[in-house]
Amino acid sequence: MSGTYFDALWEAHVVESLADGNDLLFIDKVVAHEITTPPGALLIERDFGDALFDPRAIVAVNDHVSPANDAATAEQARHLRGWAKRHGIELYDVGDNGICHVLVPERGFVRPGMTLCCGDSHTCTLGAFGAIAFGVGTTAQAGAMLAGCVVVKRPHVMRVRIDGVLRGAASAKDVALTVVRTLGASGARGYALEYCGSTVETMSMGERMTLCNMAIEAGATTGLIRPDATTRAYLHDRGVPFALEERWYEHARVSGTYAKTIEIDASGIVPLVTWGTDPSQSVPLGQRVPEAANDGALAYMGLRPGASLEDAAIDQVFIGSCTNSRLHDLRVAAEVLRGRRVSVPTIVTPGSQAVKRAAEREGLHEVFQDAGALWTHASCGPCLGMSMGVLAKGMRCVSTSNRNFPGRMGAGGRVHLASPVVAAASAVLGRIPTPSQLDELTGAGVCV
Amino acid sequence: MRISGDVLALPFDGIDTDQIIPAMHLTVIEPSGLGPHLFTGHAELSNRLAEVPTASIVVAGADFGCGSSREHAAWALLERGFRAVIAPSFARIFLENAYTNGLVPVVLARSDVEACLRARSLEIDVDAESISTDGGERFMFTLDPVRKTFLEGGGYLRYLHAKIPAIRTWAAART
Ligand code: SF4
Repeated sequence: MSGTYFDALWEAHVVESLADGNDLLFIDKVVAHEITTPPGALLIERDFGDALFDPRAIVAVNDHVSPANDAATAEQARHLRGWAKRHGIELYDVGDNGICHVLVPERGFVRPGMTLCCGDSHTCTLGAFGAIAFGVGTTAQAGAMLAGCVVVKRPHVMRVRIDGVLRGAASAKDVALTVVRTLGASGARGYALEYCGSTVETMSMGERMTLCNMAIEAGATTGLIRPDATTRAYLHDRGVPFALEERWYEHARVSGTYAKTIEIDASGIVPLVTWGTDPSQSVPLGQRVPEAANDGALAYMGLRPGASLEDAAIDQVFIGSCTNSRLHDLRVAAEVLRGRRVSVPTIVTPGSQAVKRAAEREGLHEVFQDAGALWTHASCGPCLGMSMGVLAKGMRCVSTSNRNFPGRMGAGGRVHLASPVVAAASAVLGRIPTPSQLDELTGAGVCV
Repeated sequence: MRISGDVLALPFDGIDTDQIIPAMHLTVIEPSGLGPHLFTGHAELSNRLAEVPTASIVVAGADFGCGSSREHAAWALLERGFRAVIAPSFARIFLENAYTNGLVPVVLARSDVEACLRARSLEIDVDAESISTDGGERFMFTLDPVRKTFLEGGGYLRYLHAKIPAIRTWAAART
């Protein structure tokens, strides 16, 4: 294993190699949000005189519960605000914010060749830009803010080669779920996933972010995609200078040797929906859940072994989260909802204020609201059961987010992960669609 | 350092951090007040905790601490009196968080974890990297030699703080 794009990028950031595979890795950009940053900022303030390594290398976002919904979350947002102001850190706040993983690329904070960390496991989303981006705990994030580095074990590199054309309603989300299903919920532990192949090459940056977003769901340290003309065009459109990164575009042409390779045929990917309590537990639409009950997952989900998912009535649909809240996701969901009515409470949460405004310029907010869905402000929204759209015990939600863990969206709540198109169809039907129902609702041709 | 105490047996793989501490409790600025909410993300786990209120060592299945990066999971365990977690494997971020907070993460082979699950109490010799069960079994484990030095309170940030001059020199010389 050597010479891959990931290896070259990693090595360019190693300040010191430590024992047992650990490296002192330089971090170019720290993303700081209001849930995980304040306790770390306090540690630096109390024990190290409040000095930061480089405030310009930090971007702060109030995103998880924004605007605040009670006194405690208001205190978190206020703390992040005051801290950012004191240090001259760029802050994105109510009215001009969004989920950090959606906002950071839009504002040009991630570029090929960078390393980034954040006290948030879905930081791997940013690997779509040919960056090494990974989640860390509060203390490690504080360390990166204090000293510009993290101590982290160098992962092996696994190539995830995806070739072929996606058919019917299959989407980047179904590719992500397929990868997690193939590897298992911890099958990529100790690895960085490098996604490549013709399917990935033809994906937009938004789709690439959806794919990289769920690398953590297979336990990977991160996921990334080598930068190419699509990356360059995205950054160019946002006025991000890329001259400095030129060498990384060059590096991206070299493949190197990988510790492991898996291959996925995209033409065989169909829309998936999770039936269990970890994101690897999914089945194609229309197929029955497994007969063998798995760790109580079926019991938690209120499903009998071998049950058909379309038989279970759902209580809520959520379209949003750092996995699926960008413009493309909203467009495909709106196409299903156009001229139809939702039959269960449906919450549509754009990933950022910029996404929201772009969607509104296209009239998507009218489509959602005409269909009877709630069109909200930009934030993490119902994804983590912290603010709006929390589930009560036994409630069943089809969600475009990334985690279906027990209690994720509220104690005892049941989450089925799916793509925006499947979620929108579920909103219309009040049930998870069968493949033929999905065909009907999308007006699409084949969906095997 | 020696840790001895009763076992909380959680023989399930993939206990994620949402189960360890649900997101609705992540509204703290200071890492305190989390202990009472430990394992409330899943009734099965909180029921087992209620049965062994004196426990100070978690013995769990593979991939303990997967999912969200929330360090609150380690804080909640420590506040509730836990000093170590034994499992066949840990998710990366939880493992890092455990070390930086002085919660000892012990990786053992599955068969050894099963022996620990059957034990009522355990004694862990952190320096010698060994575990003894109340049934007289003894297992060796290996801690990460770098992170072991972070187990003492605040060790991780002190370590990085001392490196700042070298890091600045490296950054200035960077091409
Ligand atoms: S949208 Fe959900 S998964 Fe993404 S950062 Fe927010 S809470 Fe985490």
